[in-house]
Amino acid sequence: MKAFEVIHPGMNTTLQDLGRPGFMKYGTPASGAADRFAARAANWLVGNAETCAVLETTLFRLELVALNELVIAVAGADLAPEVNGAPLPMWESVSIKKGETVRFRARRKGLRAYLAVAGGFSAPVFLGSRSVFVRGLMGRPLEAGQVLEIVQAPGANLSKRLPREFIPPDPSRNPIRVILGPQEDRFTRLGLETFLSSAYQVSAQADRMGYRLEGPPIEHLKGADIISEPIARGAVQVPGDGLPIVLLWDAQVSGGYTKIANVISADLDRLAQVMPGEKLRFQAVTLEEAHQILRKAKEFLDQVCRTIQA
Amino acid sequence: MGRITEEHDPSGVSSRWPRIRPSGDSAVLIEFENRIDPEVNRNVRALALTIENDPFPGILEALPAYRALMLTYDPLQIEYPDLIERVHAWIERAGSIDLPPRRLFRLPTVYGGPHGPDLERVSEKVRLSPADVIRVFSEARFMVYFIGFICGLAYLGGLPEMLRVPRLATPRTLVPAGSVGLAGGQANAITTDQPSGFNYIGRTFVSLYDPKVFPPIPFVSGDEILFLPTDEKEARQAHGRGATEFL
Repeated sequence: MKAFEVIHPGMNTTLQDLGRPGFMKYGTPASGAADRFAARAANWLVGNAETCAVLETTLFRLELVALNELVIAVAGADLAPEVNGAPLPMWESVSIKKGETVRFRARRKGLRAYLAVAGGFSAPVFLGSRSVFVRGLMGRPLEAGQVLEIVQAPGANLSKRLPREFIPPDPSRNPIRVILGPQEDRFTRLGLETFLSSAYQVSAQADRMGYRLEGPPIEHLKGADIISEPIARGAVQVPGDGLPIVLLWDAQVSGGYTKIANVISADLDRLAQVMPGEKLRFQAVTLEEAHQILRKAKEFLDQVCRTIQA
Repeated sequence: MGRITEEHDPSGVSSRWPRIRPSGDSAVLIEFENRIDPEVNRNVRALALTIENDPFPGILEALPAYRALMLTYDPLQIEYPDLIERVHAWIERAGSIDLPPRRLFRLPTVYGGPHGPDLERVSEKVRLSPADVIRVFSEARFMVYFIGFICGLAYLGGLPEMLRVPRLATPRTLVPAGSVGLAGGQANAITTDQPSGFNYIGRTFVSLYDPKVFPPIPFVSGDEILFLPTDEKEARQAHGRGATEFL
């Protein structure tokens, strides 16, 4: 079934699901929604499985016209979504009629918004996932005139809403938590202090691969290069110029720069909502703390899922 | 293989390899001697194979590299101390595992001309004639140390010492897929059209990456590759064919 025709593709709009983990040894990053909480929530709100593909769009300008009666939900960044010029409520299911236009007018808060449609977007499957990964020749960003289809006819139309207290707070308000290493011993004490005490601005070079950060350079002990090795998601690598690069879901899976730290899994969604030009700070936690935070995050996610599906 | 230490060793000369360190909250690096060496890499591959042969709840991927292996895990499924205990056991077991025999790929490669824009430059740098550069390069059996970067790039070892040249000062913005090049003691054959700072001396038209099939790349760690010189016509006949047809 046809869902939408693309009037304006917006900026870097791609279909994403929860990615293709398990192919790093074939040189393929996991990809998938950069803010997985928002993608899951949007799917749950329209009655989909959390693994359905959703639209990920940044900043503003995406404009779609409905080709059928649809149930959608928008989550993640507040990009002033509208239906036929009227505000479209976020974090809840919304019915739209054939011919109505969904548009993202202006960025208010966050960077990436997610639009789920009941039935799930259809897209070619590469290595078990519908996530577009342009560099890996797995799909393309949205184009004007493209028609988006639904995988399966949606079920009963139930109105669902995420209680306000579950909506994530402003992404850059709190520090991004990291575990130091694996090459923290390749930096001077001053370098580590610089990293943990400075505000870093997200540069214009920010995409699904990662963020280049601008701020005080981080001092190496003896050079920035290591023998190339695998890179975990959320790694903070520091090349010779001392400016950190945080690697996200479409990043290369191996590289030869020293990594001072790694963002904890529970903070990756929030990191993906920080805008170029905004500042962020890093705070070190222990591995045990990171695991504890992750268990809490999972409990929260389960609670959100139960609440929406209740 | 001996016991592991988790102590930090800033000097990098410890004899107490391998060692384990966290790499974020969902992966550990298991590091062997800090050099690019077929024997060191053999330990990495033996450990990767041992782990793959022994599926364990919460253990996700074993990623071999030159001298380190990254093991990804789900901290919600396995406790860290249990993970480390498993890793110790796998390291013990890896010492006695047999690795599969190496495969040798013979990839038809057209050297020089429009397909090898840096052949003349490399020739001048290493003070060999272009014909000698081609001869030395094409006689080398390159070993696939591991697959990584992006789009299944094979990290190759075995470049003859006399072909050591630096990277380009300014990387090319687009190099076609299949280009065969060298830089800084390393060699590669890039798998998709992409920017690169390597010196490209030839091109193979054999398909090196296809995300529509599994596995998307033909090589595994330990395989060997010969880039056999051939004329343009013959090289182009390999267009779109999988590398496994050239074993």
